[in-house]
Amino acid sequence: MTDATLTSSINTSTNSAVTYRRVSLLFLITLFICLPFANLSINTLDPWDELSRIGAGFLAPSFSNYQTLTEALLNTLAFAFQGVALGGVCGLILSLFYQKTVIRQFSAFIRAIHEIFWALIFIQITGLSSATGILAIAIPYTGIFAKIFGELLNEVDHRPIDAIGSQSNTLNSTLFIRLPLAWQHIKTYTCYRLECGIRSSAVLGFIGLPTLGFHMETYYKQGQYEEAAAILYVFFILIGTARFWLKPLLLPIYVLASIWFLPWQSYGDWSLFTRFITEDIVPGPLKYAQGDLLSQSAIFADWFTQRWNNEILPGVLNTLILSQISLIATGFIALLLFPWVSSLFFNKAGRFTGHSVLVVMRSTPEYLLAFIGLLIFGPSMLPGILALALHNGAIVAHLIGLYSQVLVLRDDASTGINRYFFEVLPRIYRQFLAFLLYRWEVIMRETAILGILGIPTLGFYIDSAFEEIRFDRALLLILVAALLNIVVDQIATWSRTRLHIHQRPGSL
Amino acid sequence: MRLISRLTVAVSLTLSVLFSATVNAQTFTFTAIPDQDESRLKERFGKIADYLSEKTGIEVSYIPVKSYSAAVTAFRNNQVQLAWFGGLSGVKARSLVSDSKAIAQGYEDQFFETYFIAHQSTGLNASEAFPMAIEGKRFTFGSKGSTSGRLMPEFHIRENFKKAPNAIFSDVGFSGDHSRTIALVQAGSYEVGAVNFKVWEKELSQGKIDPSKVKVIWKTPTYPDYQWTIRGDVDAQFGQDLTSKITEALLTMEDKALLDSFPRSKFVTATNQDYEPIKNTAKSIGLMD
Amino acid sequence: MASITDTQFQPIVSLENEQLGYVSGKKAHSVLSDLNLSIAPGEKIALVGKSGSGKSTLLKHLRQSSSMPVAWCPQEPSLVPMLSAFYNIYMGQLNHHHWLQNLINLIIPKAQTKSDIRSIASTLEIEPLLNSSVDQLSGGQQQRISLARAFYQNADVFIGDEPVSAVDELQSRRLINQIIAKHSTVIIALHDIDLARAFATRIIGLKDGAVELDVSADNVSQQDLLTLY
Repeated sequence: MTDATLTSSINTSTNSAVTYRRVSLLFLITLFICLPFANLSINTLDPWDELSRIGAGFLAPSFSNYQTLTEALLNTLAFAFQGVALGGVCGLILSLFYQKTVIRQFSAFIRAIHEIFWALIFIQITGLSSATGILAIAIPYTGIFAKIFGELLNEVDHRPIDAIGSQSNTLNSTLFIRLPLAWQHIKTYTCYRLECGIRSSAVLGFIGLPTLGFHMETYYKQGQYEEAAAILYVFFILIGTARFWLKPLLLPIYVLASIWFLPWQSYGDWSLFTRFITEDIVPGPLKYAQGDLLSQSAIFADWFTQRWNNEILPGVLNTLILSQISLIATGFIALLLFPWVSSLFFNKAGRFTGHSVLVVMRSTPEYLLAFIGLLIFGPSMLPGILALALHNGAIVAHLIGLYSQVLVLRDDASTGINRYFFEVLPRIYRQFLAFLLYRWEVIMRETAILGILGIPTLGFYIDSAFEEIRFDRALLLILVAALLNIVVDQIATWSRTRLHIHQRPGSL
Repeated sequence: MRLISRLTVAVSLTLSVLFSATVNAQTFTFTAIPDQDESRLKERFGKIADYLSEKTGIEVSYIPVKSYSAAVTAFRNNQVQLAWFGGLSGVKARSLVSDSKAIAQGYEDQFFETYFIAHQSTGLNASEAFPMAIEGKRFTFGSKGSTSGRLMPEFHIRENFKKAPNAIFSDVGFSGDHSRTIALVQAGSYEVGAVNFKVWEKELSQGKIDPSKVKVIWKTPTYPDYQWTIRGDVDAQFGQDLTSKITEALLTMEDKALLDSFPRSKFVTATNQDYEPIKNTAKSIGLMD
Repeated sequence: MASITDTQFQPIVSLENEQLGYVSGKKAHSVLSDLNLSIAPGEKIALVGKSGSGKSTLLKHLRQSSSMPVAWCPQEPSLVPMLSAFYNIYMGQLNHHHWLQNLINLIIPKAQTKSDIRSIASTLEIEPLLNSSVDQLSGGQQQRISLARAFYQNADVFIGDEPVSAVDELQSRRLINQIIAKHSTVIIALHDIDLARAFATRIIGLKDGAVELDVSADNVSQQDLLTLY
């Protein structure tokens, strides 16, 4: 090694750690920029009555309504299986063409819209039906699958393709060489996504589909915590045991059974679709406006300016502030909790407790966490940040915990806190940042559901627009939200490339 | 370009599949979201369906929905032909479906009220006049589309302050439900809230409210609220006199077990005219175009 | 640094008829059997033998059963990639301090710590590398940082598994001399027989799961050593 190469290698090596520090610092700086704009006041008065009612409910859950519960449970699974299966098939087809820009952009767009918003749109066209639930899951999942499968197909061993001398991008080589090579990963990833699908399916209940979320929300809303707790417990067990019964081999059986249980059904027809496209989403004033193109565009400009000032601008700002602070808080919670499920720190019994706590944290709906936070801290961004950070922090902690298991430490490595800061944290940091970057856009989408706190995020305004049956506004705001998500996704991808995080965290 | 045309074909094929399983031979269906106790909806309202079926001689089914807007959408799309709407959602539904009409309302709905409630720490007391002292407090509405939890309280707030709620209160929340509003004001998370008077009285009688922590400080003037609304095309679709049969069945409903599901003491006649004030209020505060 | 103490005449490790191996899955694999070995303070031992003869297993066991603290230098440097060379060396003394002190040192290193580590680094010719993160350093550089980490443990006994395999011959001799100068008792596994004879007072040879050779370095012939391979 010559002197020159030696120096340059030292410089690049110096840089890699420095880059991580810089990126982390950058995130912390955005936190400090956002903090002054965030209302974090605490107004505690008498939370204990309600909190003790919640506590009592969780101590004595009531399963008396088990018939409804069973039906909702089966519906939850049926929507999830069919939605994820349909999304998987469509995503796989799109992934074969993933090198085409138009396909990539299309996928990014459809996954940038939250499944709840897809459902709210489809209710207008296909009514309250199985079609609505299945499509609301299938469409965003198609976008996610297209991306992940596309990357998997791209990462396969290139030698077999070179061996037959075929052009590496043709459909033939993809179908007959890449696909078989990536098949194992595709199956594993699909199974992981099913767990998310079950969660999404339950969440669709909040807007009226007959899944666990439907009853969960009703009971919570009416303060029937015994019944709400029972549903939540069923949900915890469902998610907690998923790794034992969600096996690739059994998937076809599950999907067929769910098609039998919940056949495809729709309450719409073409006229509703046409009406939605040609009437519902036309900006309000234009529907009644007469006159030439010029006056029409003036009316439109006026309408858009109002939307911009009243909803888009405050919505985007609040969304950014809330999600940025929540993202950093998510990071801290993940770093605090992951040792609990890592064999580097805890024995089997300790890890079992840790896993249970994480399952509870990542399966409890954010709005319930937000409500408890609201009781304790009063209305401000604080309960929202806590709800998002606890939920997402548990997910990231779970993933880094799994990742840390494969680390090999020296025989004489230190233990406890020394081990955490010196041996483990530096080793997992790159992966940790990758997981956090992947979670960024998810957190941003989830800010939508915190209307109870009165934080006017984009999601809050979208919800209002649907509630007021103003689909023109809803659609405009959904487009803005999708655009914001795509921008964040782009920044995250760019950061990952800059940080040389090549290893794709397949489990997000 | 070829890719795009292929995509177009794929999308239209998908859409055809979308509607292929449309339910055509329809059963007469209704929906209802009561202003309290939404549990076991299917069981409770299944009995109403049976009652209506018996009185009209046609099959009637019930479908549960989660929100006022979902009920309006189902009504608009003819997935349901009859609905028990709140004042505001009924007005919206009727403006979207021409010829649809209000046929009956609860006896209590002729003179509905909203209560403004406050946590004891505010020191506010019940008064006849609108409580201007709520300015600057943390305030919560109920659900965004509710007549008693949103529309009427917002109307009176704007009337008295001549400002939007955001400019009056330090925080404005939407608890999502009357019973959440009570819980949050009782806990002091929000200092003042607006709540459906029937829910307040029910929870008070059930002992869920601690009068030393939260109390009523103002009652709105009365207004019309919940009502049954039916689509204009049901007679053509299900038989000549179905509208009048349904109206008759509702007005003569006497079984307390059935009426308790709503809960109302009985149903009385209603017309679209009765709800003009609600419509004007909704327009005046920008909730309708 | 090597101090003469009362423990000098008690063996550091004494093995009698020991059986060493590892467990993989549910199966136990025996690597070394009928092991009889005693190591006294002050000895400079070279452990030789083919790869797979059980050197690493024996060293690992010696480290675990040593009656005195051991400066440990494993074959894989196992450095922490995100940390600078400085902190990788510092980790040799993690267990000597309270974790809070370690954390404070992670943010602002004490002057004393800095000068201690710098002096070790300069004897191992890696002082210019102290502020670089270790993930892109060459194998030889990483090995010397691992060695510095062992030195910083300040133990009397040094146990190393091929600690100089990735540097050139000239440098490896200098490094071995540094190891001997800083530790009273030294046990090193080596594949370089000449190097072994140059520093060791005692040579232990492993073959086919048993101790084939255990002699004073003065009495060993080139022929004896070659039979091991």
